[in-house]
Amino acid sequence: MRYVVYAVCAAAGTVVQTAWLTFLPLGGGIADPLVPIIMTVGLLHGSEDGALVGAGIGLMHDVMSGSPLGLGMAAGATAGFAAGLGERSLSLESVWLPAVGGAVLTVLTAAVVVTGTHLIGLNHASAAQSARATLGSACYNAVIAVPIFHVLRRLDAAVVDLYGRSA
Amino acid sequence: MFPSSAFVRRRLLVWGLLLVIALVVLTAQMRSPDGRRIGWIGTAIEAVLAPPAVVLSRVSGFFADAWSFITEIGTLRTENQRLTAEVARLREENARLRPDAQENARLRTLLGFKQQLPYRSLAARIVGRDPSQWFSTVLVDRGASEGVARDDPVITSDGIVGHVVETAGSWARVLLVSDSRSAVSAVVDRSREVGVVVGQGQTLLRITYLSRDADVQPGDVVVSSGLGPIYPRGLPVGTVVSVSHGTMFQDATLRPASDVGHLEDVLIVLRGGSLAR
Repeated sequence: MRYVVYAVCAAAGTVVQTAWLTFLPLGGGIADPLVPIIMTVGLLHGSEDGALVGAGIGLMHDVMSGSPLGLGMAAGATAGFAAGLGERSLSLESVWLPAVGGAVLTVLTAAVVVTGTHLIGLNHASAAQSARATLGSACYNAVIAVPIFHVLRRLDAAVVDLYGRSA
Repeated sequence: MFPSSAFVRRRLLVWGLLLVIALVVLTAQMRSPDGRRIGWIGTAIEAVLAPPAVVLSRVSGFFADAWSFITEIGTLRTENQRLTAEVARLREENARLRPDAQENARLRTLLGFKQQLPYRSLAARIVGRDPSQWFSTVLVDRGASEGVARDDPVITSDGIVGHVVETAGSWARVLLVSDSRSAVSAVVDRSREVGVVVGQGQTLLRITYLSRDADVQPGDVVVSSGLGPIYPRGLPVGTVVSVSHGTMFQDATLRPASDVGHLEDVLIVLRGGSLAR
């Protein structure tokens, strides 16, 4: 059941990003609410779930954004996997965790995307442009990751309470 | 506390598998003719998510427009004030330059006319008007010190204006043809009928002493005859507006050749130098 919740959140995040956030660029970068969602899944449920959910959300992002299919999928899977590495070693109560995690995972997903586009010969942006856009997105995501992480964490707990651990 | 190596390997395997799938999808679509093929699953995802995105975009567009409208009010007010001030400045400048342009045109015309005149003449500017409503005289800024003398004719490029009746230092008073004290020996240009043009203290003039059988018609141009002591021959005096038949003579009403009611610049014909320009 919790994955349905994540899917709905990811769909809402994709819609919001497509409709709104793309019009609010910061240094060439835009806010990506999907990264905090993937991060939350990874932190709460580990690398496997994080990678799977991240791949699904990334693919959905690819479909909706019009970017080459597979790029967002690889980036999301990597971000989810990386977030899941901190499942048991990081304190979920840390105030800085969502913000720092959001920023770090943004940089990580950007690295995957840039690498992927280089592999298929589609990246024409300079390193400076890419760095600036990534920095902007990282700042954005660090901010929005905090509320998204806390809301999703509460939702996740509510779903567990409602449907049991198997949900 | 630490995960077992098998657990870690499994997680890495899942991640690696996902990366491979992503890579396959990525390279497969890059080989497709259009470079991107999302398939029926992608189409379904888009079919579900695109409409809300469009709605959301329209909603955001509405709010963006509203916000833009609100935030631009201040800007528009400032812009409006700036433009209003600009319009006022340009109007003032325009009003200031218009007389200059008109004066320029008048002076050009006057200069051209002056060069055509077989007399020596002096350009003068109207600096004062008779404040009474009964007489028609004007003051000009040229006087005896510049050679202006009593009875010198005053003209414009359109025709006779009047003649000097007083002069001193640097000013002169001109009696306009419209003044009832003014009389100009004139001739109807077409029929060569001779008469005397007198002022009536009004806008229109009157030519009198035309013979009963004189051929005078509305539209005829009346010019100075040169028979009088003041005006040289051939200067336009006015145009016949209407003709009235008396018992002994005919009279005709003339519209002055010069707009004596709106004079600004004139030429004073210096009689002393009538043989020179």
